[in-house]
Amino acid sequence: MAFWKSQPSKPDKADKTEPGKPAPATVANGAGTPSAEGHTPLAIAELRRAVDPDALGFKTTSELEPARGLIGQDRALKAIQFGANMASHDFNIFVLGPAASGKTTAVHQHLERKLKDLPIPPDWVYVNNFETPNRPRALKLPPGRARALVKGMIGAIDELRNTLPAMFEGEDYQARRRAIEEEFRSGQEQAFEALNAKANSQNITILRTPNGFAMAPMHEGKIVKPEVFNTLPEAMRKQIEQRIEALQKELAEIIEKLPKTDKQRRAKLSELNEEIAALGVHEALDDLAAAFADQQDVLTYLDAVGRDLIRNVGLFLVPAGEDNEIVKQPADTARDARFRRYMVNSMVSHGGDDAPMAPLVEELNPTYGNLIGRIEHIAQMGALVTDFLLIKPGTLHKANGGYLMIDARKLLMSPFAWEALKRSIKAREIRIEQPSEMSGLMSTQSLDPEPIPFETKVVLLGDRELYYLLAAADPDFSRFFKVQADFDDSIARSAENDQAYARLIASIVVEHKLKPLDAPAVARIIEEGARLASDREKLSIEIGRIADLVREADYWAAQAGRSTTTRADVAQAINEATQRSDRLRDRAQETIERQIVLVDTTGTKVGQINGLAVLQLGDFAFGRPSRITARVRMGSGRVTDIEREANLGGALHTKGVMILWGFLAGRYALDVPLALAATLVFEQSYGGVDGDSASSTELYALLSALSEVPIKQSFAVTGSVNQWGEVQAIGGVNEKIEGFYDVCKARGLTGEQGVLIPKANVQHLMLREDVVEAVKAGKFAVHAVETIDQGIEILTGIKAGTRGDDGHFEAGSINRKVEEKLRDFAERGRAFARRSESESGDSASGSSNGKPSS
Amino acid sequence: MIMHVAEAGEQRGRVVLHITSGHPNNVAIEAAVRIAQAFHSEIESLFVEDMQLYDMASYPFAREISLRGTNRALSREDIERDLRLTGRALCRRVERLAHAANVPLRSRIVRDDPVQALAKACAEDGPWNVVALADVLAPGQGVRVCDLFANVGGYTGLMLVGPKARRTRGPIIAVVESADHLQPMLRAAERMAGVTNGEVMVMLLADGPSGGQHLEEQVRLALGDQTKIQLLRCQIDQGAPAALAEIIRRLHGGFLIAHFGGILVPAHGDLRDLVSALECPLFLMR
Repeated sequence: MAFWKSQPSKPDKADKTEPGKPAPATVANGAGTPSAEGHTPLAIAELRRAVDPDALGFKTTSELEPARGLIGQDRALKAIQFGANMASHDFNIFVLGPAASGKTTAVHQHLERKLKDLPIPPDWVYVNNFETPNRPRALKLPPGRARALVKGMIGAIDELRNTLPAMFEGEDYQARRRAIEEEFRSGQEQAFEALNAKANSQNITILRTPNGFAMAPMHEGKIVKPEVFNTLPEAMRKQIEQRIEALQKELAEIIEKLPKTDKQRRAKLSELNEEIAALGVHEALDDLAAAFADQQDVLTYLDAVGRDLIRNVGLFLVPAGEDNEIVKQPADTARDARFRRYMVNSMVSHGGDDAPMAPLVEELNPTYGNLIGRIEHIAQMGALVTDFLLIKPGTLHKANGGYLMIDARKLLMSPFAWEALKRSIKAREIRIEQPSEMSGLMSTQSLDPEPIPFETKVVLLGDRELYYLLAAADPDFSRFFKVQADFDDSIARSAENDQAYARLIASIVVEHKLKPLDAPAVARIIEEGARLASDREKLSIEIGRIADLVREADYWAAQAGRSTTTRADVAQAINEATQRSDRLRDRAQETIERQIVLVDTTGTKVGQINGLAVLQLGDFAFGRPSRITARVRMGSGRVTDIEREANLGGALHTKGVMILWGFLAGRYALDVPLALAATLVFEQSYGGVDGDSASSTELYALLSALSEVPIKQSFAVTGSVNQWGEVQAIGGVNEKIEGFYDVCKARGLTGEQGVLIPKANVQHLMLREDVVEAVKAGKFAVHAVETIDQGIEILTGIKAGTRGDDGHFEAGSINRKVEEKLRDFAERGRAFARRSESESGDSASGSSNGKPSS
Repeated sequence: MIMHVAEAGEQRGRVVLHITSGHPNNVAIEAAVRIAQAFHSEIESLFVEDMQLYDMASYPFAREISLRGTNRALSREDIERDLRLTGRALCRRVERLAHAANVPLRSRIVRDDPVQALAKACAEDGPWNVVALADVLAPGQGVRVCDLFANVGGYTGLMLVGPKARRTRGPIIAVVESADHLQPMLRAAERMAGVTNGEVMVMLLADGPSGGQHLEEQVRLALGDQTKIQLLRCQIDQGAPAALAEIIRRLHGGFLIAHFGGILVPAHGDLRDLVSALECPLFLMR
């Protein structure tokens, strides 16, 4: 969150420095103290790199040719081109770059241009597998012919719905059917009638019982009563019984033959049905077969359809339950449940467009189902059922044979989606599986459609952090995404790129139908581009943010009733955007102004300095000064970082403090022990502190405390330091300077106030115009330093001092004072140690004698 | 009933559904329900337990050959139980159909000679009854129809189905052999058509060209401006009853209405060809 530093002492009146002029020598601690000289604040031109509108060479953007695509992204575009041209399935592309950098649009445009070079991919359909219905078959068709097959099958079934009933109602069929029925029926009847006649001739009658047949003696058409029968002679009774028994056997034989006979009858009828059905079916499918004569898979499928139609011709002879009663029209064949198995499910078709070409698909919601496709279900009698017509294509199907763009972050956040995509790339096929099946949660029978070959170039888009995270955490990632297209977030500043930037702005104007911008407005936007890049030598190419600025400026121009957007409109857009976001900055400023947070901007003080921090809140960042103090005493050689002790300091901050120890020991205590105990603290810091940008500031505070030379509080300091005392670059330099400027401005600029920054950060300066104006007016200054010695001289006005031939620093210099103080600590420490040893020796000796020590 | 009720404009009557076996025909039962619907009459389901079966079962050597060809000893108790269970099951079956068609139903199970039971039932509440034979009339059982017309009174018509009966929906075909029968047959046909949503076709049947011509003139005169009724003219010399039966079959009728004792159904003739070809119920009127 924060970067810090610095703390000056109260300046003497003689310390007043005119901005733009060399810092005058300062006398801080009485006579004999050498003054520091020759430190010049940065010139105006170094604070902000302005653009000369006249040098742009146009009056308004309407005169410019809008830029096509991105500027300054040659490396990334080359990588995309390479990835797109590589035919291998594992050379997929990961486009990495900051958000709102326009990479999605650029990739889209780039790939779109390549589509015409790709062959049009085939169509794919799913059809019923008549042998294994739960494994629907995938058929590959030439581009644009899936629809013909879908329509053709509907047409064929429609035709059969008309022709088959007519054929089976026709006299030809009926006559042949009757012949078969008659053949078997008459055979049965004749057998029964013959038996009946034979029984009657023997005075036996055959009666129908609820469950079959029975026989009894008969006389004159009526059954003989049992009591009458019993009066007959026994021989006659026996004879009748025997006759009945014989007849019963005959009847049983006739009945036993019935199932066999019936089976033969059914077989003959079945043959007849198939013969008749085959005529109609072949007639209906012939046209379709001719249309797809070049597609062996389709012909094989049509053969299977034909066989199934013939086998299930009964479907066409039973009226549908859903026939429309009013208009007497048969229900739509495609919706008729009886004929679903003959329909064709078109998964992907490339016909119908005026100029069909390979697909370029961007999946905005890359869930598992949206990517791989899904098998839907419908509720039927309380159960969920499905069939091959309920297979829905996913984006992989739609993009097959072309390009597929996916937001990597969304992909990773969708359960199962990333793994499914990798599986498809690896196996080079799209296999639709239900996530619940994969996790073994569902055991009900579902579909297992044949996989479809997958040949798509996948383009993932994400930020760098995500790319490196994937590369580190997922071994598959590097195997399947071998091309990285790294989008820069900035381009170098040059006259040529300023022109390109202007054309980019012109393209935003055209795309969003905005008012043209005049040259000063464009210049202001280019300057803001450098500011966004945090580098005066760079221009941000975060297209989204630039476009936002242009659109907002257009709004303010409209509010002002202007037909052209001016520099003032751009400035207002920037200010308004800042104001919308800077509530917290105002609060932070207020706490300093009301002395709730103690920050001095005038006077001098020993061991106290103003550091600088940057707070980042979303897209908005601002700087804030903070007091850092240091105290020293004789000790055993330790600098205590209170932030660290309180667990408020981060690792980088701790590292910075440790470097200070190395610097102090290396410069001042080569031949004596470093008998120093020091404490460092960020005053009124209640959150965490991290980063090493405060390390030089802390060192200045330490040097001030050791030398007892006060630091000017009119300065704030930022910069990290190494063990050699060199000041190193930090981040957020503009915000830090502006943060201290705002505090000073609120209290009233004295002309003595300013900020020390590392010299390496001068190239990053793109300060606000009001800050530049204040410097120009001599009210504020920015100093760039390369070493701690330079910095301490500016902060104290006293020469830092160099080590002479005698091995000592110049008398009266800061370094000499520090060295002497440390030697003093060492001497006193040694004396203290001797005294302690002596006392402990006496005490030990007295005890051994059995006498009290003195 | 049909002639008389239609003629008299009566709205009441009774369909006696005569069931004598455990295997009544579905189309026959459905047709009985349609007739009852058409004439807003009730159905009396009459299941007859044939007395002869009890006599037969009293023989010590009585055996039953099942429809699968197996046989078993049969006792009076067996036959009594089988008939009781069959009767109840059939009553429920008819009840379901009648209830679905919103037709009042009365069920009876009697133990008697089948013809006598029918005669008694018709005599009890005649004469406007229609007898519906629930059992399929085998082609060789034409004589049974003649017996019913000869020996049973108290009904005006008889409905029967053949072994190929398969539908009750389709055109109502009235076979008119005499102009005297035209009006009552036509009214009956129209009522039936109202229930089955079928059209009415009148088949004119005469025994020669001159007779046919005369009949057609009379019928056209009687029909007047009823243009929706389709007239078909047939001559008996076009072929035997088998040819007539085939013509009727091809018309895919839902009901066939004919006069008993005429050309198509002679009082003492053979019904074998007609019954063999019929795919719809046949109404025979006295």
